[in-house]
Amino acid sequence: MMSVENMSQLFAKLNDLKKVFSYGERLIPVIHSLGEFMKETVPLLENINKSIAESTSKIPKASNQIQSVTSATELATTEILDLVDVLNADLDSIQKCTSDCLEKEKDKEDFLRSLIPNLQKENAKAFVEDFLEKNRLSSNLNSVVDRIKKMKDDTNSITLSLQVQDITSQQLATVNHLIESVQDKLASLIEDFDNTNINDSNDKINLPEGATFDPNARYSKSSANQNEADTIFNQSMQTASQAEIDKLFN
Amino acid sequence: MGLKFLIVDDSQTMRRIVVNSLKNLGYDDFVEAGDGKEALVKLSADESLNFVITDWNMPVLSGLELIKAIRSDEKMGKIPVLMVTTRGVKDDIIEALKAKVNNYVVKPFTPAILREKIDAILASNGGSN
Repeated sequence: MMSVENMSQLFAKLNDLKKVFSYGERLIPVIHSLGEFMKETVPLLENINKSIAESTSKIPKASNQIQSVTSATELATTEILDLVDVLNADLDSIQKCTSDCLEKEKDKEDFLRSLIPNLQKENAKAFVEDFLEKNRLSSNLNSVVDRIKKMKDDTNSITLSLQVQDITSQQLATVNHLIESVQDKLASLIEDFDNTNINDSNDKINLPEGATFDPNARYSKSSANQNEADTIFNQSMQTASQAEIDKLFN
Repeated sequence: MGLKFLIVDDSQTMRRIVVNSLKNLGYDDFVEAGDGKEALVKLSADESLNFVITDWNMPVLSGLELIKAIRSDEKMGKIPVLMVTTRGVKDDIIEALKAKVNNYVVKPFTPAILREKIDAILASNGGSN
């Protein structure tokens, strides 16, 4: 026979059970709402996943477009450099011809002057000098030489400005590297969500193997960076040993 | 002995620009390499190469690694090396200095800067090259 104590424990437990049921009764609407919420949320999440997958699949195209921009600018730069080389060769040739003409002009002038003492007429000297004055080409030729020199300086400036291609290609490589990182993150997110491996798709980022770049590359005509390099090198020149260089910079 | 340059850069454009600039400065003897590894092969094969101008960022073997490799080599160790790079931040310059680069030019460069640095290197080497 159960003791009174046992009976009271049983009633206490039944009481607890009743509380659980009554709590459960209140919880049912909440669980029901949660179910409804999930019903609405799952398609939404699927939509988000689909959007991410779609966007992610477009990333290789964007990256490859950037890569093709780099290739196109490199090709165009090479063409410009080829043309500049042709132009420089032509200018060299014109410069040489002009120098030869100047030389011949001087010879001609010297020759005509050398004739004067041998001429019989009184006014021979005046005649020759008048002729030379009216037919003087040396100043024109000197002007042509100056123009050629200026044109050569200009073609050199064009060549130097083409350094922008190398610098922008490094900037684009930095962007591509960032795009690739985003692609990897999104791919792993999608894989966690529905086991889809987007890297299996046909669209892949085709970056040049072993591509390296300076993420801080800038095309700037400011001499600030060069000045800093010069300062550091000048400081190091004044120190004698590697230990001292280390001490200076550490 | 005249200067024979090894121009090391993975960008063909930059190699041409450096070569053109050197031609304008009166130099006419050049060999080119597309990365540090190719540069080491060319340096080993041609003992008349006596001045290296290298970029930093290159595939296979970077300019910095190239300098370290040159400096650690008994035969090539004293060849002057000029770094021509976009890397203009202080830490990079110090790193190059620690690798024992002879001088440093930040892109975009001008022929005047190139001449100044080559002359400075030659002067500090006592014109031995």
